[in-house]
Amino acid sequence: MKSFSFMRVSIWVYLAIFFAYLLGPLVIMSITAFNSPEFPRATPWECLTFEWFAALFQDERILNGIKNSILVGAGTVVLSVAMGLAGALMLTQIWPKLRATYYTIIIAPILIPGVVIGISTLVFWDRINRMVGLGADSFLSNGLFLTVIGQSTFIASYCMLVLVARLQRYDTALTEAALDLGATHAQAFRKVLLPFMKPAIASAAVLAFLASFENYNTTTFTFGEYPTLTIELAQKVRYGITPAISALAFIIVVLTVFAALFNEANIRRKDLVAAARKDATVEELESGKFRVPGFLSSNWAAVALVVMACATVVVVGTATVYSPAQCIANVQEQKRIETELRIQELRQRRAEEAARKAAEEAETAPKPQAAPSDNNSGFGGVFSPNTLTGEGEEESKAPEAEDNSNSGFGNVFAPSTLSGD
Amino acid sequence: MSAGVGVDLEKLWIRFGDFVAVRDANVKINGGDFFSFLGPSGCGKTTILRAVSGFLEPSDGRVLIGGNDMKGIGPNKRPTALIFQNLALFPLMKVWENITFSMEIKGASAKERRKRADELLDMIALPGQGDKLPSELSGGQRQRVAIARALCAEPDVLLLDEPLSALDLKLRQHMRTELREIQQRVGITFIYITHDQGEALTMSDNIAVMRAGVIDQIGDGKTVYNDPATAFAASFVGENNVFRGKVKQVSGDTALIATNRSGELLARISTANQGKMQPGDDAMLFIRPEAFALAPAGASGDHFVTATVTNEEFEGNVFNIFMEGDGGKELKVSLPNLGQSFESHKGQPMTLQYDVQNAVALPAGELATE
Amino acid sequence: MPRFLREFFNRNGVGMGSLMLGLVLFWTVGLIILPQLSMLDFSFRPNLPPPEIGGPKDVYTVENYKYLIFGPEGGSQDYNAVDLRVFYRTLIAAVFVTLFNLVLCYPIAYYLAQTKGNHIRIFALMLIIPYWINEILRAFALRIIFGETGVLNNALVGLGIFDTPFDFIRNDIALYAGLGYAYILLMIFPIYNVIESLDRNQIEAARDMGASWTKIHRRVVIPYAKPGISSGCTMVFMLSAGALAAPQILGGPSSLWFTQLIYQQFNDNSDWPQGAAYAVVLLVTCILLVLAVMRLFKVNMGDIGK
Repeated sequence: MKSFSFMRVSIWVYLAIFFAYLLGPLVIMSITAFNSPEFPRATPWECLTFEWFAALFQDERILNGIKNSILVGAGTVVLSVAMGLAGALMLTQIWPKLRATYYTIIIAPILIPGVVIGISTLVFWDRINRMVGLGADSFLSNGLFLTVIGQSTFIASYCMLVLVARLQRYDTALTEAALDLGATHAQAFRKVLLPFMKPAIASAAVLAFLASFENYNTTTFTFGEYPTLTIELAQKVRYGITPAISALAFIIVVLTVFAALFNEANIRRKDLVAAARKDATVEELESGKFRVPGFLSSNWAAVALVVMACATVVVVGTATVYSPAQCIANVQEQKRIETELRIQELRQRRAEEAARKAAEEAETAPKPQAAPSDNNSGFGGVFSPNTLTGEGEEESKAPEAEDNSNSGFGNVFAPSTLSGD
Repeated sequence: MSAGVGVDLEKLWIRFGDFVAVRDANVKINGGDFFSFLGPSGCGKTTILRAVSGFLEPSDGRVLIGGNDMKGIGPNKRPTALIFQNLALFPLMKVWENITFSMEIKGASAKERRKRADELLDMIALPGQGDKLPSELSGGQRQRVAIARALCAEPDVLLLDEPLSALDLKLRQHMRTELREIQQRVGITFIYITHDQGEALTMSDNIAVMRAGVIDQIGDGKTVYNDPATAFAASFVGENNVFRGKVKQVSGDTALIATNRSGELLARISTANQGKMQPGDDAMLFIRPEAFALAPAGASGDHFVTATVTNEEFEGNVFNIFMEGDGGKELKVSLPNLGQSFESHKGQPMTLQYDVQNAVALPAGELATE
Repeated sequence: MPRFLREFFNRNGVGMGSLMLGLVLFWTVGLIILPQLSMLDFSFRPNLPPPEIGGPKDVYTVENYKYLIFGPEGGSQDYNAVDLRVFYRTLIAAVFVTLFNLVLCYPIAYYLAQTKGNHIRIFALMLIIPYWINEILRAFALRIIFGETGVLNNALVGLGIFDTPFDFIRNDIALYAGLGYAYILLMIFPIYNVIESLDRNQIEAARDMGASWTKIHRRVVIPYAKPGISSGCTMVFMLSAGALAAPQILGGPSSLWFTQLIYQQFNDNSDWPQGAAYAVVLLVTCILLVLAVMRLFKVNMGDIGK
């Protein structure tokens, strides 16, 4: 069974690598939200700070983007769930000859690149707008309408897929029974079909909102005067990134995990209750002695949810009283010292070199000696003394890397300034 | 008790594309009747029911309920209530909500509905079960809830689409009696769809026998059983033995049939076909298993049948004897068990006699397939 | 009223039926078909200022398509080498991203579908969570990692594997990793759905008969999972060829993605017809490619989205 255990080990290794690829970036991004350098990075760790969260909440454009995203999301959810449901209902009724064609049409938006959907929406409604004779600022060419329309084009397809899966398990006799008992079509829809579809509609709505919230490709052509959060983020990320974005990402990650755990805990609970009901005897059920299992009992998701909630409270509590000013000052002081050290080093080396040159000229060359520097900066291997002892090209490269890494400190310490003197 | 509301089908045709599901159906159902449509699956009986309840538009002809033409009136406006084959109880509503759904539509208060639900639950012998979900009930209980739900709508006509087919045999037999009792208590018209002739015979005032979209015969249970109008009706309702042949001679309401294997046999011409059978016509002669009696060995004549016994079985109330029959099909004879001694004749010829009144001569036609 | 319409209204009621029909028509015709046709039409028109649209100069022309192939008229080169190279590179890179995802995801999908237990639910959650997070933020996270002073470079240099930081972004490695990352879920789910319905006994039986793992997958699992695989590959290919966020954030400064050209035509050059023509070319090429591959592997459109 040696090969079998080898199999198992390799499966687990593979899973570990896979999930590291999947989750690693999010974890690292989350860490950068708490690190003090102005360029988001996890290493080297400098100071724990919550200032990026403060910066985030003061960013007008981000806040406005969130507002627009919610507006667009709400519109998209309503429109695409309605269209998705109508589309799914139609799919169950349409006569067989047309079915394949119809299915291809309503599934196509999933495959059409978002960019193309954005362009076609923009071009088409611009034309309609002109045909109707409205100005450039009419609601048709206003970003809100266009974005909702453009996103709904393909999000409705996702909704349709979710809804049709549930609809396939619906017994149309139920609607007929309602009609037969005197309900109008609208009543039958509202009282019988809709309650049956409710779970799927809820999933479709969540899916639609998430898809709308994160959409970029389509929205980037249609947003007009309503830049959504994603658009604002893209602008920021393209033209300079700050840990405030990491902070936002961290908040979204936490909310997502909360939602997922909550959902999972609910499902687990339902399963447990159902199982308990099944196991309970008839007498227990009828006499009311039946006890519903507690929320936390054998429900890992619920436990995780509670633990996370506590952790959040603790972290937020810490954040309100914690001030990283001292630490940041320390780090800055340390950096200053270090840089000074390096300048001295350079000067010394230059002096030595000059001396050597002078000595060479005088044919009495003293051996050049690298200045020992203790590396406690936590900058990792980049600035290890070895790199510095190299000569010529290597020497110029290391400080360059330094320039990139703490660009936040401005160009005061840039090598160009140094070499200039 | 009021006479109830009758249902009339006049020259009803229903087509799906090229397929004719119902062909020229003319049925008059009296108010307060328990009326059954009996036929094999696919014969169009459910289609008729859907036309009466309003889910289907007739291609031709009319459906009248209480004398009013139902054309253009939707299922929710008709004074009918349908009990679906799979019952179609709303899975997410509690039993009491299911039962009083029709009241909810009309805007009745929860209190009124609760009260009515309790009454109906008492009637169907499920007191105190109102707060369960349909999925928590047994098959028979669900059945009764479906009936209560339909009755709560106070229909003039209750339509039942094979509602017992999903139940096991014992429960089915019990529900037959119960349904009949409920019908007599509420006094409204029941239209019942079934492929089970036992159900149709035990419950119905009148039965329509259907075959491939055509109604072969309408009559009460005894008429349909004893005096079938077509070969199909004769072979579908109850067990029957068929003898094929040609009409040799007709005298009054009896005909002498020259059968292919059993010689010349005498039979009564069924009421519907009197005067329509001529010598030389292809004919079929039907004798039910229980209509035979043992005859002295060697007896012969126009009401004696002699054949070789292939198998015998004892069923308790009857002895069943299987003999070589017509067209490869076995001839079945059921002799009542009256405590007489019975010796095996397996492999030997046996002679039986019958009363001519119990043998029916019919024009040759399509037989029901088992 | 035609019979099918009357039947439709009978079944759904006039009010509900009209609402349903209206929504479906709005979606299929108003949002899907007409805009695509409109874009196609637009791509054959010259770029005119708004007052001249519909005027005498507004005639059909293939100039926009010619531009993609031959470049600006009177240009120095015979062919529009820059744009064409971007186009081919996009398609080829999208194919590689698709294959990479398939190879990466197939074992995971198989494992998730054929293993029972509580940890599978946790894995599924871990799979989904990254996709509840903004596309831009996912790309941003990768940029933090792949940046010149990012975690990866720090680690590699720190471990002594590289002497100097490696420019993942300029070498497009960040871009490919990002594109692959973006669509993992779309590859896993279709394959997972199909394999989950595969009877475990079939695999056991094949193993019983002494088939090796590779053989079991080649002869039993993969043929069965074909609809899921093709569905996943189609989606990943189309979406990565049409991706915009990842190339903008993770792409190197010198290498463009075809969608970025479209974006430039629209937003920087304000040449909508040109952009529309490029979009049509991208859409048609992708569809033809997908259809060709689907025919090659004998799968139907109906399998997509299951």
